[in-house]
Amino acid sequence: MNKIQQFIVNLYPTTKFLIVLFLALSAFITPGYIWSYLVLPICMFLAYLAGCFKEFSNLAIKALLLIVLFIFLLQAFFYPGQEILWQWGIFSVKQEGIQFALSLTSKIVAVASSLLLFFRITKVKDLVSSLEKLGLSPKVTFIFLSTLQIIPEMQKSTHVIMDAQKTRGVETEGKLMTRVKAFVPILSPLVLGSIASTEERVLTLESRAFSAKGNKTSLYQVNKTKHDLKVRILLLILFILLIVWRVLS
Amino acid sequence: MKIKRGVKHDFTLIAILLIPIGVAINFVGAQIVNLLKLPVYLDTMGTALTAMIGGPWIGMATGIFSNLVKSLLNPVSLAFTPVQMAVGLTIGLLSMAGMFTKVWKVLVAAVIVSLATTIVASPIQVLMFGGATGNSSDALVATFLASGQQMWTAVFSTKIINELIDKSICLLIAYFIVIKMSPRYLSKLNYGSIFIKKKAS
Repeated sequence: MNKIQQFIVNLYPTTKFLIVLFLALSAFITPGYIWSYLVLPICMFLAYLAGCFKEFSNLAIKALLLIVLFIFLLQAFFYPGQEILWQWGIFSVKQEGIQFALSLTSKIVAVASSLLLFFRITKVKDLVSSLEKLGLSPKVTFIFLSTLQIIPEMQKSTHVIMDAQKTRGVETEGKLMTRVKAFVPILSPLVLGSIASTEERVLTLESRAFSAKGNKTSLYQVNKTKHDLKVRILLLILFILLIVWRVLS
Repeated sequence: MKIKRGVKHDFTLIAILLIPIGVAINFVGAQIVNLLKLPVYLDTMGTALTAMIGGPWIGMATGIFSNLVKSLLNPVSLAFTPVQMAVGLTIGLLSMAGMFTKVWKVLVAAVIVSLATTIVASPIQVLMFGGATGNSSDALVATFLASGQQMWTAVFSTKIINELIDKSICLLIAYFIVIKMSPRYLSKLNYGSIFIKKKAS
């Protein structure tokens, strides 16, 4: 890990959140769509500095490409307007529609890419731990963390159940009706099994005083670095400058 | 003994542990659908299940957590969190009213849930995303628009058609799974008793 990467990754989760909040808000404060679209490359650059460029770009494309494309298609063809740019039969692309789509998608891209960046550079564990310090109930953080654990676990058992049902003769390929029939035999053991396991989990958690009242200690801690304050002050100054510039211009 | 219900009493430990399971079922259920290449989404099955046996508040919490987890990978889904909340809340309330005890009642409930989802989802879709969602149902919206309808009616009609199919399958499956649950487990949940009575008769 080089220095810049370490610097970004080691920032306190709420500081990282302030950074992306600033990026997202700036898209709404500045007029037009050019800056809002620029938020995506900026996030990409930050992701590159933090060493997760590939991951970030992959997810950003997956999450945004289709929806942006569809918004453009829907608005370009069906937004009410007079200035026709291109026509084919009854379909026509209108200037106003393109304009509307540009301003709409640019905001979506800005907010979505900054959120995506936040989750790429912040470990969920760190985020949850810092939220707990801010006063979020440990029950909420427990639900969130255990959800993230249970999903891959359940995916594994899905494959086990699918294989088991296949050996019993349940067909999982072929015509639509055969595949529909396979759905319940796969899902119901999965659901009933995982629900049964909650009873054991209740016992385990209660034996560790999960619902006992009183302060809880945490094994995992995140600490603020000396850079956090600097970054926050910098963001505040930038934000004030941005608002002043917007009011004056 | 009368069971206490409400926001303060619903979040018992066993009900809290139901939430992660519900979220995981939402995900894995949708994945199985994908593996079997079925033409539906079924990504609210977990929410339906937990709302039926855990009540409206647990159902709503499952909805919120589902979309939070989903937004780790796709932030667009964060905007649709109120939809999942509405699904959990409506199913929970319907379950309290005993709407999930017979197949025909489940189908009536599916219509009500679809209406509720459509009412919550359409404004989000139109105002925030200009009518698009980024998946295949957009083609249907475009078809409605091309036939001369307004944006709102186009989105509303597309949503209601999709939801009616999706929610009736989803609720039926959830219903068949719930009636298979053991009374011993159901008795530990605040809303489980509704489904036990049905077995005794």
